Amino acid sequence: MNNLIDESGNLSIDFLIGFTIFMLAFIWVAAMVSGIMIGLQSSHIDYDAVAYRTGVILVEDPGWPASPPWEFYTDGQKYEISRFGLAIIKNTPGILSQDKVNRFFCSSFIYPDDYQTRAIFGDYPYHFNISVTEMGSSYNQSKGDSLPDGYGYIRRLVKIKGVSNASIGSSYIRAHKFNNTALPGDFNVSHHEFSILINSTKLQEEGENTAYSIDPAREQIIINITDLNSTVFRSPLTPGPVIVNLTSINVYKQEGGTLSMVRTFDTPYIDGSSTATKPPVNVKNNISLILNPRVFDIMQAGYSKVYINLTFDMQDNALPPNLVKSSFLNNTLSQPFDYNYNPANVTQPQLRDAVVEVAVW
Amino acid sequence: MVNDGGQLYTIEGVAAGLIMLLTAYMVVGATTICTPGDAHISDMQLEVLGSDALTMVDTPPNSSMAESPLQLIIEDDSGGGGRFKNMFMNYTNVSGFGPKHDIQFSANYTYEADGSIMSAQINSSRNLTGGEHAVRVTKWVLVNKRLPPAGPLEKRAVLVEVLLWRD
Repeated sequence: MNNLIDESGNLSIDFLIGFTIFMLAFIWVAAMVSGIMIGLQSSHIDYDAVAYRTGVILVEDPGWPASPPWEFYTDGQKYEISRFGLAIIKNTPGILSQDKVNRFFCSSFIYPDDYQTRAIFGDYPYHFNISVTEMGSSYNQSKGDSLPDGYGYIRRLVKIKGVSNASIGSSYIRAHKFNNTALPGDFNVSHHEFSILINSTKLQEEGENTAYSIDPAREQIIINITDLNSTVFRSPLTPGPVIVNLTSINVYKQEGGTLSMVRTFDTPYIDGSSTATKPPVNVKNNISLILNPRVFDIMQAGYSKVYINLTFDMQDNALPPNLVKSSFLNNTLSQPFDYNYNPANVTQPQLRDAVVEVAVW
Repeated sequence: MVNDGGQLYTIEGVAAGLIMLLTAYMVVGATTICTPGDAHISDMQLEVLGSDALTMVDTPPNSSMAESPLQLIIEDDSGGGGRFKNMFMNYTNVSGFGPKHDIQFSANYTYEADGSIMSAQINSSRNLTGGEHAVRVTKWVLVNKRLPPAGPLEKRAVLVEVLLWRD
């Protein structure tokens, strides 16, 4: 019997090691118990992150290609669009372009494929719903599925920049002597010209803030010529009615003092028609010209003076028609209509409050 | 001299150790949340909303306005706070298809005068009790104002600070 070694009360080493490992594991689990109370799940965190990223891309990025802007690509060219973005320009995040918003929700883009590769990104096939709602009006556009019970979400407050436009009506025509009635011999004219000036260089220089500037290279501009009937005063020598024939719309570019004709403009909207009619075409009262950035891009006129010349012939109703004499819209003896920042000439772009919401699941 | 007390030699001891190691491995593998609970996602969403709302208040609606509504509110000595409250709450509580929240705010602006940092209240939707989980958004704004009130009229920058929270 060995009285020097008494093992009673000793714990064996294997028990100690096992008990230590058990206690470490128990302490670790106890520290994680607080995480069980959280309702967060990793997939939900992911949905919020994807929604946030999509919101940033849409609201703070102008998309790609930027020049000419992607929203003016035709349906056949949609595969050249790399990225959707609704901002006018990167320097003005949160200010959206009306043209981009309209195009984004166009039915020619198919949910979800076209949006997955251009707004959502990633390989995971997320479901999503993107909407733009204008505050204080009933304007609402949305794309995507109906919302489920749980989803990632972001709401962004934005301003939508409206389109600038010019309306040239009877009062404006009279005030600026755009119908030649002030001078003798006006009636002895069968052929009239009306010229519009779009000075891109001056518009860029005077447009200090992109949020309010007129930029034909990035945004659509609209020119409405109305009350044409009020400018028709037929010569006493002209029997019968006068029929106004818009013979052509020629576009000239001035660079370095040289004026040269670049192209014709073949898509005016006549008398409120929803389809464009290529001149020559008879006109009763209204002409609308909608110039999108592709027109200026093709001419490489982003920094030039552009003159749009409308030419009219006064005709009778014979077949074939004969030229007759009458006064009409004509500014060859005054000056071109200047599309500029003067509110008397052009309705300036306005910013409207809106909300962009993105839900992802 | 040599005895086998304390030696890891029993099969039971080895088996018990292996079972403990296996248990520890399963516990570690089952843990999916490694951080304590926080609200950084909802905080971020509220902060983005507040920042957007402040930017909207500081953006003129057209080019004919030389100053933004926020600049005019701060320059208004007779109290533009009511206008700020109406505009800001209109933006933050706008209803869309998303979750509805009752968002409250408290706004002030801070400026430097005579070497001291001074602060002036713009407005608040209600008084802070101290228990709100608020986020902070700020914006530098240029104003033409006498700051302090007895000082010279000059153009200067003030820091607009807004605390937002959900009720």
